[in-house]
Amino acid sequence: MLTRFGLLMRRPLFAVLALLSLALCLAFPVLRFLGRISVEGFRSGLLAASVAWFIFASLWAVKPKKN
Amino acid sequence: MAFTISTLAGNLDKLYEFDREPVSPDKFQSWSRFAGMFAGEHVAATEFVIGAFFVLHGVTARDLFFGLLFGNLLAVLSWALVCAPIAVRTRLTLYWYVRRIAGPGLMVVYNIANAILYCILAGAMISVSATAVGLAFKIKSPALTDVFPSSLGWVLIAASLGILFTTLAVLGFEKLSRFAQVCSPWIFVIFVAGALATLPKLGVRPDFSNFMEIARTKIWNGVAAAGQERLGFWHILFFAWFCNLAMHIGLSDMAVFRYAKRWTVGFLTAFGVYPGHMLAWIASGIMVAGIGREMNPGFMAYEAAGLAGVGGLLLAGWTTANPTLYRAGLALQSITPNWPRWKITATAGAATTVLACFPIVFMKLLDYVALYGLVLMPIGAIVFAEHWILPRLGLEQYRAENRGWIINLPALGVWVGTLIFVFLLPLHLYFKWLPGYVFAAAAYTALAALGRRTAC
Repeated sequence: MLTRFGLLMRRPLFAVLALLSLALCLAFPVLRFLGRISVEGFRSGLLAASVAWFIFASLWAVKPKKN
Repeated sequence: MAFTISTLAGNLDKLYEFDREPVSPDKFQSWSRFAGMFAGEHVAATEFVIGAFFVLHGVTARDLFFGLLFGNLLAVLSWALVCAPIAVRTRLTLYWYVRRIAGPGLMVVYNIANAILYCILAGAMISVSATAVGLAFKIKSPALTDVFPSSLGWVLIAASLGILFTTLAVLGFEKLSRFAQVCSPWIFVIFVAGALATLPKLGVRPDFSNFMEIARTKIWNGVAAAGQERLGFWHILFFAWFCNLAMHIGLSDMAVFRYAKRWTVGFLTAFGVYPGHMLAWIASGIMVAGIGREMNPGFMAYEAAGLAGVGGLLLAGWTTANPTLYRAGLALQSITPNWPRWKITATAGAATTVLACFPIVFMKLLDYVALYGLVLMPIGAIVFAEHWILPRLGLEQYRAENRGWIINLPALGVWVGTLIFVFLLPLHLYFKWLPGYVFAAAAYTALAALGRRTAC
């Protein structure tokens, strides 16, 4: 289990992963537009990247408690 | 009566006590903070409907592009040249500044009007989200002309969603606000993703070479749907301008800009309106064209982006209905003394839930947005006249505060008179606010001058 301290230490990592997920959310429609993937592939990929965004962005959003 | 209004005003004052004093320099925020905040705004569930409605109203591609470009520019200029300078000079929220100018009694009336308008807006957001849930249960979305609930299924879904959103708002407004910050960049990406993925369906080639041709013939082709009024360049320009009228010309955003070091921060609103009120509207226009110009936001989002699209629509409705419910509750708190926070939010939520069952709240969204700004605009004009015009004419400022008036009767008269004036104006609803604003500022200045002469 990650402690709050552990989460805070990994914030930069979560930030990178969150931004990568968001970039993937954009990459799938671009690939669909270019005709490289099917509609189903686009929808599944977008959904998976979206779930990843919410996980990593939520972890990234954890901030130190103020005294 | 005066006692009752004083009591209500006293309740309101306690609520807003924490921001009674002008913001001190140590609390000023950097421009990057403002840019980041504005960038996250203006992407709500209603954007799925507004852009789609432009297509159904037969707007042409050229009118849409230039209308949004210049209309949003005028909105940015309104924030930068009207709202931000007053906020930076006074460092007060609109609440406390209107209280000085119009008296605490009028502030109560303003708050109640705001609460009602917020409830309708939150109702529209819930209605839009309900179309997404209805898809899962195969419940038909209301027709464009529907005023009343179209089926029992629709009522059940809209009511369930309203109850769910209200319960979540009651349980933890602040946590939801933080969650909304996580959602907002993703929701914007969903708009872009949905539009991009719809383009091949409309026949746009991967090199974009025929995009303008498809845009002109299949998306914004200038043909209005049956029963829909055709809108042109000026309608779009004015719509983009007045879309946030209550915030810029109506001065609600003084609450934000009072933390700015300079008034020029107002220009940073461009970071919010161009993605939210231009790109997102263009994207939803493309998406609605992809489903044969049918006004069904849930179906549209699913067809464009699958389950992620449906999730985007739901979350956009939820995260924007949440602060709207909170604001409505806050505004209502003046007339519900000693009620706990949850009870007020639940009451506002109950009203909103009932409204959400009526499809008219989102089927007539464009007109409602116009009315929303129109109703609150005269207060912005009164504050503008009091702040800039009266001192230049050598007229006394803040007479309500100086004389301890509960209600500044000339201000109340101008507010009501302006609403009558704009109602009688033989202009399209979208164009009424501008002459109304000039009328309100001129009438208030004239009454202030007349008041001084009478006093002499």
